Amino acid sequence: MRLTCRTFLAGGLSAALALTFGLLGPVSAHADTVLTVVAADYGTGPKDSSQIYWQKIADDFHAANPSITVKVQTVNWNDFDTKIQTMVQNRQYPDITEGDYFSNYAQEGLLYKVSDVMTDPSNLMPAFTKLGSYQGAQYGMPFTTSSRTLFYNKKLFAEAGIAGAPTTWDELMTDAGKIAAKGHIGYGMPLGPEEAQAETLLWLLGNGGGYQDASGKWTINSPQNVETLEFMTKLVKAGDTEPNPGTKNRAAILEQFAQGQIGIVNGITTLLPIIKSAGALTDADWGTAPITGKAGPLDSTLGVCDFMAAFKTDGSKQAAIKKFIDFALSDKYQIAFSQEYNLLPGTVSGAAAFSKLDPALAPFMAALPKAVQYPSDTVWAQVKTQIQQQIGTAIGPDPKSVLDSLQQTAEKGE
Amino acid sequence: MSASRLRASSFAPLLWVGPAMALIALVVLWPVVIMIRTAFQHISPDGFILGWAGWRNFRYLFEEPDLYGILIRTVIWVIVVVAATMLISLAMAQLFNQNFPGRRVARWALIAPWAASVMMTSIVFRWALDPNNGVINVFLHDIGWLARFNTDASDWLGSPGTAFAWMMVVAVFVSIPFATYALLAGLQSIPTDIYEAAKVDGAGAWRTYRTITLPLLRPAFVVALLINVINVFNSFPIIWEMTRGGPGHQTSTTTTFMYQLKQSYIGESAAMSVLNFALVMIVVMLYLRATAKRREDI
Repeated sequence: MRLTCRTFLAGGLSAALALTFGLLGPVSAHADTVLTVVAADYGTGPKDSSQIYWQKIADDFHAANPSITVKVQTVNWNDFDTKIQTMVQNRQYPDITEGDYFSNYAQEGLLYKVSDVMTDPSNLMPAFTKLGSYQGAQYGMPFTTSSRTLFYNKKLFAEAGIAGAPTTWDELMTDAGKIAAKGHIGYGMPLGPEEAQAETLLWLLGNGGGYQDASGKWTINSPQNVETLEFMTKLVKAGDTEPNPGTKNRAAILEQFAQGQIGIVNGITTLLPIIKSAGALTDADWGTAPITGKAGPLDSTLGVCDFMAAFKTDGSKQAAIKKFIDFALSDKYQIAFSQEYNLLPGTVSGAAAFSKLDPALAPFMAALPKAVQYPSDTVWAQVKTQIQQQIGTAIGPDPKSVLDSLQQTAEKGE
Repeated sequence: MSASRLRASSFAPLLWVGPAMALIALVVLWPVVIMIRTAFQHISPDGFILGWAGWRNFRYLFEEPDLYGILIRTVIWVIVVVAATMLISLAMAQLFNQNFPGRRVARWALIAPWAASVMMTSIVFRWALDPNNGVINVFLHDIGWLARFNTDASDWLGSPGTAFAWMMVVAVFVSIPFATYALLAGLQSIPTDIYEAAKVDGAGAWRTYRTITLPLLRPAFVVALLINVINVFNSFPIIWEMTRGGPGHQTSTTTTFMYQLKQSYIGESAAMSVLNFALVMIVVMLYLRATAKRREDI
């Protein structure tokens, strides 16, 4: 009797333990090396999902290196940062990421230096070296780049009797007002969580402001920035934008522009295929112009770079990671990516080859070296999260207190 | 009877419940311990433990300027959603307890909002409320109540007041099935001869409902109420899918706020969890008291 009881207890306990530890995931018993790639999804739907792009690279790579299997997971931009952050917090590191890069992971010693996982680091676009570096060593590999520009709907401009793109804020407000009076959205202002930090910075630059000054000191709550947010509030209050910009994401605003409902947006080259697939605007119906500033157009725009980064985990996969990164960053795939999403390459040789293929994008490429970039401080990850969550509330009676609290986040650090 | 046999028999129950207790300790109690420990640790945003933080995480939490608005909003959220759910469910249960043609189909249909993923329901509502072409706005426009799309009037989820009201509607919508079924089960357990006796004594419908149905329904009502309070308090997907707590934190409850804090401030988020846990425990105590009382009644 006793024996039975004890057996039962032991059985029950081991079942409980199995239940608990079963959740931790099976131990990999593969002889092959498995690399996990987590990438942001640049597509607008299942047809142009980046999953397809990466899966092709993974398949080609596996065919050339049968002992290495690459597992690809793509995550939409809305959730990408949170997803990676959660994986890191839970110690379930991916091997390679492609999307936003944060220097705090380099600071924690989680990442390989670029020189450890790439044969020819000098082929990476030099304009973004600093942004991808921490304490002088480069960790982020520029994968795809873009610069921002103003897009306007010529059809709506003609309907409202406006001759050309606005160059100053006052012109922008007048033009947006005229378009809104016709029952459309004058200016699309995506201050929702998806990418509020970009739209905000473009506005701040227009008034000689920014997140940091030239010396790298945080200046989020500077008087110029407060003035900028006050102007933006005025624009929103006048009904010249979509309602409640703080809750509207970039993807939705770009879609609406492509459908011909918005007069002016600050866009990226990725808007081109979105316009094409929406089918509402012909090539003659829209135009681009420099970003509007308070007194005149910006002479340097915001340059954005998405990076690849390699996590060390237990350090056993370095050789395989190096092979894969060399493979994935070859000109062939760089060009394929740039063509698929109308973005610019991240490598020097890729950019040279691509500008021969698509001369229309050459001016965007020329703008990159002098483009303004995001801060490269380790606290940027938190600041960015706070901007995304809070900046929408700065559109209102008291922008200063919101900017003050963002400034505090930046100075508090971690 | 020897002493050793006596001891063996008193040990036997422990052996039977032991595995279950071990499982509870591992999957329920241990996470609670970890949660409380985390609330007192200084942890980097990437999950590295940098040492003890004392009460600092709690201090940061209580210094959050948005916290008090969030707490008040959470209380309003729970009270309004649960009250509306229980009132509507009382009526629904009464209706479904009647005999009418198609009752079986109607009862099945009631399960739908419950069976469907809450996240899915929330996304459907978010789309239906789209300021540009949501079906609810299109309808309001067609009947002439909405003058123009893409305006404040059509942007229900853009301003905190209307967004919160709509999220409450969705929360009530998904909570009604469970409450109705719990109350319906309660109604069916009331013996019919009591009603017959009341009829013989000449009691009217309202008097019968007030003096017989409601008192006898009380145990089922209390259980449904408390389970609803816990569910609604912990509700995450509705708010997350419809507004992500925005703009700012103006439509957050403590549950979504806790998740948002976790992104950058793990320790502070754990402090928020401890606070949430304490609030839920109070409700659980009430629940246990209510069910214990019910057992005594029987």
